[in-house]
Amino acid sequence: MDLEMVRYLSKLGKLNFTDDELKKAADDMTSIIEIMDTIKEIDIVYEPIKDNHNVYLSGLRKDEPMDSFPTEKILKNAVNSENCFVVPKVVE
Amino acid sequence: MDITSLKIRDMRTMLDKKEISAKELTDAYLARINDIDGKLESYITVTADVAHAAAEKAQKVIDSGEASALTGIPLAVKDNICTDGIKTTCASKMLEDFVPPYNATVMEKLNAQDIVMLGKTSMDEFAMGGSTQTSAFKKTKNPYDLGRVPGGSSGGSAAAVGASLCAAALGSDTGGSIRQPSSFCGVTGLKPTYGRVSRYGLVAFASSLDQIGSIAKDAHDCAVILNAVSGYDYHDGTSAKKDVPDFTAKIGQSISGMKIAVPKEFYAEGIDTDVREAVMKAAKWYESQGAVLVDCSMPSLKYAVAAYYLIASAEASSNLSRYDGIKYGHRSEKGDSYNDLICNSRSEGFGDEVKRRILLGNYALSSGYYDAYYGKAMALKQRIREEYDSIFNNCDIILTPTAPTVAYGVNENISDPAKMYQADICTVTVNIASLPAISTPCGYDKKGMPIGMSIIGKHWDEATIIQAADAYEKQFERVPAVI
Repeated sequence: MDLEMVRYLSKLGKLNFTDDELKKAADDMTSIIEIMDTIKEIDIVYEPIKDNHNVYLSGLRKDEPMDSFPTEKILKNAVNSENCFVVPKVVE
Repeated sequence: MDITSLKIRDMRTMLDKKEISAKELTDAYLARINDIDGKLESYITVTADVAHAAAEKAQKVIDSGEASALTGIPLAVKDNICTDGIKTTCASKMLEDFVPPYNATVMEKLNAQDIVMLGKTSMDEFAMGGSTQTSAFKKTKNPYDLGRVPGGSSGGSAAAVGASLCAAALGSDTGGSIRQPSSFCGVTGLKPTYGRVSRYGLVAFASSLDQIGSIAKDAHDCAVILNAVSGYDYHDGTSAKKDVPDFTAKIGQSISGMKIAVPKEFYAEGIDTDVREAVMKAAKWYESQGAVLVDCSMPSLKYAVAAYYLIASAEASSNLSRYDGIKYGHRSEKGDSYNDLICNSRSEGFGDEVKRRILLGNYALSSGYYDAYYGKAMALKQRIREEYDSIFNNCDIILTPTAPTVAYGVNENISDPAKMYQADICTVTVNIASLPAISTPCGYDKKGMPIGMSIIGKHWDEATIIQAADAYEKQFERVPAVI
């Protein structure tokens, strides 16, 4: 896999890599894609209608109002909070 | 007698007869963790205070004569299962300080029986790996040889059970993460049918494949835990609205006449000779007991690792997009814009393997590659399910090795992700087909390392694989880990 592709995929995944990390990732991905490419030799097509025929789906819940978690408890896991989630300025 | 080596049901008897108290049992495990876990590194967090409080409460329930199967039993929990008020790190710097505001449904169910939670066990970061060496905190060792890996991703749970640092443990299994470490650590691990156990509160890796299960000293103990944690859950739309049977019900019944499929591809090149011979020897034992061995084939097995990694990574790349460093999780100190803050937080918080899976998932899903990779993998998922259906038309259970090798050295394979992925060949199809499977020890190699065999069952038929595993365990002489 070339560096441009890794750069593109990392951008999609919101990940930064240094030049050395990028090269290492490209090498790793090349050997991983080699394994993935084995599936190219089989001629087979996905049929949505057949999917999940043996997975039990319980259906959707009713849309009912319920108690939510207390704000204070939720904000405890935010590093930077002032009774709300704080983000860098997004509007000038 | 060392009480930490007892089975859960023996502890139950002793607790109920007042031959031992919940506190004594808890203290025995905590003392052993204190003595040994510095070397083994199976726990990320030991919750001694929580355990003592739980033991006190459990004792009151026992004294009132209303104990459940797991009341007062000291258990460990994989660190990707949310525990209210107790850190749940997923062995990642991303969640190093994350304290869930709620319990996973499995924890609610275990707490309803007044278990004693000893702590949270190490794992591969976000359950991505088969060695527990991608843990950001505790790179767990194998209790049979501290120079080897315990397997993964539930390596902490399996090692803790193998070293008697808990009576049993919860793990999670997306592509073999309960069964393979159980095989490496010489213990029994049960991956239930997808939908049997609620995933609510299990940190999501690949939602169509993830399933919580139990790791214990034997199949009977695994069944006791499965009895406690199974059932429909309002919070998980994929949990099944099915009655929960008693999973111990078939234990002790004759296995004569049971039809056991032996798919030849699972015994082919790439499987170590010691492993193949040990599993075949077990097959012959079943035959000697009146079971019927059925030769069969799974032609798509050679594509299974690719199909699994494409599907699992595609789902992981979506599931892990929630980690932005803002609501919870690691937040970078660098980044003046919203986008830079997210990129920096994720780049600092995730380890190398997690990043590789995100890249692979994005590749499989990206425009121009989707049909060739993700689409093809989903087609293979259907093909593999059909092949399982066909095998089960003519048999009751399937017998395979759990892993191609025994546990390897802590420095082997780790730098070669492609090689690590291929080692999952024996386990991934079970998750792809949503089936239940149990791994139990069936032998030891020349150096004394445990070898596991997997018994795969029909959907919802955990009771039969537990029956078959239990039958083998009753005559198999286990060599305990000495640490």
